[in-house]
Order: sequence, then structure tokens, then C-alpha cells
Amino acid sequence: MNNDVRARREERGLSQAGLAEEVGVTRQTINSIERGRYDPSLELAFRLAGFFECRIEELFDPDLDES
Amino acid sequence: MTEAVSAPTVSRRRRYRGLLFGAVVVGSVLGVGLRVLGYPIVGEAVYWVGILAFLGVWRFTPVTLFDERDAELERRASNVTLVVAAVALVVGASAARLASVTGAFEVPATVSGALYGYVALFVVFALALGYTKLAR
Repeated sequence: MNNDVRARREERGLSQAGLAEEVGVTRQTINSIERGRYDPSLELAFRLAGFFECRIEELFDPDLDES
Repeated sequence: MTEAVSAPTVSRRRRYRGLLFGAVVVGSVLGVGLRVLGYPIVGEAVYWVGILAFLGVWRFTPVTLFDERDAELERRASNVTLVVAAVALVVGASAARLASVTGAFEVPATVSGALYGYVALFVVFALALGYTKLAR
């Protein structure tokens, strides 16, 4: 799943570790999400969207056309 | 919509995870060392101290040690493990049966024991799966 996490994180000048602390996961999890290697749970997706003050669909693009 | 999250610091999580696995490794290594040196009872006691320390950290730490990605990785690794065990059981049990019928060779007791161990593993898995379905 494509996502905008890295861009929004960098916009705020946050490190992966910093964002990980904010949303309660490990830095490796943030890294995997940013690289598109791990799709977060709905709960974590909501937490990320809440942190970035946007809607989930603005943060994540499920690429439904490709599936 | 922002949810208040009590997020542990990454360093705290790392420290507690190190403590968790370190307790088992140190307890096991010291336990083996003491057994080799001729203190089997003390070695066993030290081993159990390591195990209990692991359980204590795992159960009572204020920090969330593993997150959802860790759980997903464990789930995938468990799937791979079960597939490997299933292949080993299917092929190994068939080979053992053929060997005993044809008299080609005698299956060692350790191999038979391992095959029964795999059977036990799948019985436990089936029971756990059934219990989990009922609980959800």
C-alpha cells in the first residue's frame, strides 16, 4: 500500500524514532510502513492519521485498481 | 480525533527487550556452565532464575515490548514453521512406514520420537485454533 507517511513526517522534522514514540510502535515499524513493506492495522492507521491531522485516505492509498 | 497515546520511549523499549532476552541467555549459559563444572543443582536453579526473570519482565514491565508488526512477523514465522513441520511429518512418517514394511532399515527411536513430537505439535495447534475460534 502506498502512503504519505515519510513526506508528512519529514515535513514536521520528525525522525522515525520520534514518530514511533508518538504513535506507540517501534522505529522499525515506521520504517516498514514508509517503505510499503508493512500495512498497519486499522487502529494504527487511525493513530497516524490523527497525529498528522488528516483523513486515513489522505495518508494511505490502497491501490485498489491494481488488485 | 487525535488519540492520547502513552508511548514508551524507544530506548526504554529496547532496554526492556534486552533485559527480557538477556535474562534467558545469561541464565541458560550460566546454567550450562555450572552443570559442566559439576554443580548441576545450582545450575538448574540459576537457569530457573533466568526463566522467572524473563517471565517477570514480560508480564510486569510497564512498557509495551512488542508492537503489531512484531505480532505479524511472529504469525508469518509460525506459518512457515508449521509448513516445514507438516512436510517433515508427511515425508518422514511415510519413509518410516515404508522402511519398517520393507525392512530396508530400522527407524531409530530418536526419529520416531521426533515424528510423534510433530504429531503432538499439530494436536496442540488444532486445540489452540479451536479454543481461539470459540473465544472470538
